[in-house]
Amino acid sequence: MLVIDDEPEIGRAVRLGLQSAGFTVEWEDRGQAGIERVAQWRPDVILLDLSLPDLDGVEVCKRLRSWTQTPIIVLSVRAHEADKVAALEQGADDYLTKPFGMGELIARIRVALRHAAQSTGAAEGAEGAVVRIGALEMDLERRIVTVDGRETHLTPTEYEVLKYLAAHRGKVVTHHLLLHAVWGPDYEAEAHYLRVFINQLRRKIEPDPSRPRYLITEPGIGYRLREIE
Amino acid sequence: MAQSLSQRLAHSTPWRWLRVWLTESPRSGALGYLLAPVGVAAATVVIGLTESVARISDVSLLYLPVVLWLAMRYGRGPAILASVLAFFSYDFFFIPPLHLLTVGEPSEWLSLFALLATALALGHLTAVVRARAREAEESQQRTEILYHLAQLIATATTDQQLYDALSQQVVSVFAPSGAHACALLLPDATGSLQIIAFAYEQGYGTCPVDARPGDASGQPAARDQHTIVRTPLKTTRGVVGSLLLSGAPAIRLLSPDVAGTQGDTAPEPGQEERAREQAPLFAAFCDQIALAIDRAALASEAMHAAALRESDRLKDSLLGSVTHDLRTPLAAIKAATSSLLQSDVAWDAQERHELLSSIDVSADRLNRLVGNLLDLSRLEAGVAQPELDWRLMSDVIASTLDQLELSGQLGRRTLRVEEPGDLPLVLMDQEQIQQVLTNLIENALKYAPEGSAIRIQTCVVEDELRVAITDQGIGIPPREITAIFNKFYRVQQARLPWSQKRPPIGTGLGLAICAAIVKAHGGRIWAESEPGHGATLTFTLPLTTDRPQGGLPEIAESATPAPPSTPATRAAAV
Repeated sequence: MLVIDDEPEIGRAVRLGLQSAGFTVEWEDRGQAGIERVAQWRPDVILLDLSLPDLDGVEVCKRLRSWTQTPIIVLSVRAHEADKVAALEQGADDYLTKPFGMGELIARIRVALRHAAQSTGAAEGAEGAVVRIGALEMDLERRIVTVDGRETHLTPTEYEVLKYLAAHRGKVVTHHLLLHAVWGPDYEAEAHYLRVFINQLRRKIEPDPSRPRYLITEPGIGYRLREIE
Repeated sequence: MAQSLSQRLAHSTPWRWLRVWLTESPRSGALGYLLAPVGVAAATVVIGLTESVARISDVSLLYLPVVLWLAMRYGRGPAILASVLAFFSYDFFFIPPLHLLTVGEPSEWLSLFALLATALALGHLTAVVRARAREAEESQQRTEILYHLAQLIATATTDQQLYDALSQQVVSVFAPSGAHACALLLPDATGSLQIIAFAYEQGYGTCPVDARPGDASGQPAARDQHTIVRTPLKTTRGVVGSLLLSGAPAIRLLSPDVAGTQGDTAPEPGQEERAREQAPLFAAFCDQIALAIDRAALASEAMHAAALRESDRLKDSLLGSVTHDLRTPLAAIKAATSSLLQSDVAWDAQERHELLSSIDVSADRLNRLVGNLLDLSRLEAGVAQPELDWRLMSDVIASTLDQLELSGQLGRRTLRVEEPGDLPLVLMDQEQIQQVLTNLIENALKYAPEGSAIRIQTCVVEDELRVAITDQGIGIPPREITAIFNKFYRVQQARLPWSQKRPPIGTGLGLAICAAIVKAHGGRIWAESEPGHGATLTFTLPLTTDRPQGGLPEIAESATPAPPSTPATRAAAV
């Protein structure tokens, strides 16, 4: 685990918290030094602060992605949504807003590690044809979605959206990426219609659409399909 | 101010009036001198006719009404001329030997000189009375004009209005002296003079130089006939500005002390006389205007000082409030950490957990406070322009509730979200509206007892989207229902007679931030409350007709190839 953050107190707190959870943690306070350390040390997960004194965090993200697929979790203060989106589109896997709870951070790290293991280990199909999120069940082979054991009727588009989110479940998917993946490049800018669309989809899969449990909005960034056992 | 004005008038008046009296209008003077022999001749004829009927002693008195009339009408000169002419006419026509300027009988000399003396005395006295009357009349006019000016100064509500009225007044009062336009110049922040008010004579046109109507001879007025006089406006504090007067050459005479006037054309005689007459009035005008400008400047300085004091007061209040709110959680954190760091105390798991929870809660509280302060300063500085985008309110509410739940603030209260399934897209800055919702819900949480319910209702009412947050707390006193949206305002315990509970502490910033954000979005925010039974805080966002009404298309089946064994339409079919 490599933490790249220029604030020593955050570095120390995160290191202590993660070490107690059983991770080995190293800390760098500069972007360039961080990149070099990744090359030498090959961490399993990189925690990257977006505001670094020497290099822009988004730039660090881009440089790392040019040669490594190591999961990157971006740390940032509130009100920098555009930076977060940029980092996610440059290949960052997830983001956390400061200040954050240690429990949340560890949960995100575990998701990132699992995804890394899946993508290096085997194809998507290997995880099994059925995805379960709480009471929501997706049978990818038969293209059937059930909620509490009851089948719910999704349009092919809704199904594709849910399938894409399920393939990246636990991770945040930006509007841009989702629109591109499902509707194609012509629709990348139609985030507002996507909101209406997701709202309709929630009515079919969420027990309480006004308080979504599975399909979560990441304000200003995109959506996340939660992992719930 | 009034005293200095009257002093000035008292000092300047006698001398100027004497001059005015001596240099009477040439035209009317000439007429007087012309009428003197005519009048005397007429009187001589009347006396001749009377003599032919009956011999009347002292018939020469018939000359006196002529002298009196001339003195009243045309002043001293024609009266003196008439007196002398009467003297000679009487001698020539009526005193024997007739038709000779000699007198036969010595007693007739006496009668003749009595006539001359009486005529001269009468002429002089009448002329003095006439001058006095005219002086009184003009003084009254002057007083009226100055009174009108003082009224203008007193009734002007804004500085600009005052300056406009002043320059307009200058033009209308000094038009007889040839003034056509007036500009008021005041120094700006850098000290250079700027025209702040301009007025011109009615019917004179907006362009004072070139658009001037032709003069009596039908020739358009030449530019060099246009005189400009700049008079400094002085008070005891120094020169506060300048008065620029433009018009006929005679206006130079309005302020004779001022050098540097333009144009060397001779003034028109009528205007020249008026200008000389109006010069003291003009001086008084300039004094008044200078004082008015000075007073306006002082008033604006006083207002500035008051604004600074108010800002200081706010800063103090902010400092007081923030210091307390920052210190409290910091003190809790410090206390807990120093306890935990004590090496000689062995905390059991339960105690350690309590101390750590205290740190956790305090940190969250600090985070919210700092967020609020940053938001407010950004909003007040105008930096936080809403970044508007089409959003769904239901998304924003869900995100807000998730965050609040995450920070453990919801406690054991029930949250009921009521919204129709087909809410329209609304133009908003999601982050800012989420801040509004967070503050409103936190507010409701603060006042709502444990176990009570908080209702969040969203609906479309006419052309706006309405979000109402209702709690079952202690409510808001009716008199404070609008004040709660002010900065640093907190409902005081003394004003909550129905509640035994002390109101929770806050920064008094949350609702002020809400109001600022909603206003920036073109919406409204208000509170309703039934004291003792809770409160409803509602805000609206405008629904515009140009909102996106379409949707994303259904994708073609081939977009994501399905496994060959499974028909792609299955999902829709089952």
